[in-house]
Amino acid sequence: MGLIPARGASAPVPVSIQGVGVGSRVAPAPIRFVLNWGRRYSLWVFNFGLACCAIEFIATSMARHDFIRLGVIPFAPGPRQADLMVVSGTVTDKMAPAVKRLYEQMPEPKYVISFGSCSNCGGPYWDSYCVTKGIDQIIPVDVYVPGCPPRPEALLHGILRLQEKIAGESLADRYHWAPAHHIRSVSAEALQAPLVAAPAGPAAPPAPPAQERS
Amino acid sequence: MTPEQIGSRLVELLGEGATAETTFEQVTVDVPSQRWVEAATLVRDDEQLACGFFDWLSAYDAVDAGIAVVAHVWSNRHRHHLLLRTYVSREAGRLASLTDVWPGTNWHERETFEMFGVVFDGHPNLVPLLLPEGFEGHPLRKEFVLASRVVKAWPGAKEPGESDRDTGSPGRRRMLPPGVPDPAVWGPDAAAAAEGSAE
Repeated sequence: MGLIPARGASAPVPVSIQGVGVGSRVAPAPIRFVLNWGRRYSLWVFNFGLACCAIEFIATSMARHDFIRLGVIPFAPGPRQADLMVVSGTVTDKMAPAVKRLYEQMPEPKYVISFGSCSNCGGPYWDSYCVTKGIDQIIPVDVYVPGCPPRPEALLHGILRLQEKIAGESLADRYHWAPAHHIRSVSAEALQAPLVAAPAGPAAPPAPPAQERS
Repeated sequence: MTPEQIGSRLVELLGEGATAETTFEQVTVDVPSQRWVEAATLVRDDEQLACGFFDWLSAYDAVDAGIAVVAHVWSNRHRHHLLLRTYVSREAGRLASLTDVWPGTNWHERETFEMFGVVFDGHPNLVPLLLPEGFEGHPLRKEFVLASRVVKAWPGAKEPGESDRDTGSPGRRRMLPPGVPDPAVWGPDAAAAAEGSAE
């Protein structure tokens, strides 16, 4: 917990600050190797299953493909206990806030695999009025697995790629864009803020005649 | 009862204004929009029709004829079914709600309301069901602009070596896919043209 002043608020509000410990960031290479080794082989995975790709994810977790042998432990009790989120399926604009919210709840360091064409780029629904064209618009993605739906082997390959990435990473590099002592901190007021009201401007700008999506 | 008999029975009950047509062993009864609830009540309560089971209600955009609202009902007693259909105007289309006849129409009417912009009078809770908050427009109408299709042209190449710019044979008519308005009347070109004419 820390005290940071919220934007536009008179008194600071306490919020929990997500991030990794200072030890992880300044650790020398051999220690970092051990930390990464431990991290890559115990990925508690949280399945954000939204469509048919979720079935392939479940197949990957079952006996025939069995990704537990790679150290990927499926069906975490919730996002707060998970290291890896697999978004499998069609994310709609109505579901997108929930994806972002559950991603925000995961502890650092956290990884995301975008599984299947729909979560990669919209897939067959690329021109739909309600489908988000790729979850990388709302959350950072580490590995993309293409396919519609991808076979379980493809997910295994994606997990191996993610593990290679974890093995080679340095958390100081991963979070280089954030100030050292508050990483991705969000004020409580920003989280609870209502929808932004439309500006009260002049009546009708010379807009195109039909409706337009933002 | 055969589909023809079902149709003629309902037309006989409703009298003036109703018509029935049978296609592919499926009867569709067109009723005037003012008598929508009356027709539904007759379909449910008539001894020979007795369609007590409401299956679904939806709509489709019948461009010039307006918005066609369709309901499908089934009779458990006689094991027959029929489609009720009526047309409402595209602008400010209103229709009486069927929730007093079949309570199950509640969500179907909400969905039809948000997707086609048909307002159901007398509906207990006419708020959007599926669309996210603040969504503008009615996405299942023909005039709804699919911005992704506008931005990314439909891949028009049909033969190897063609690009989507020049679609090979000159005789082939360039078609705009549904959801993409004519660039002369919508989009940056139209805005530029309008500004040019204003100056």
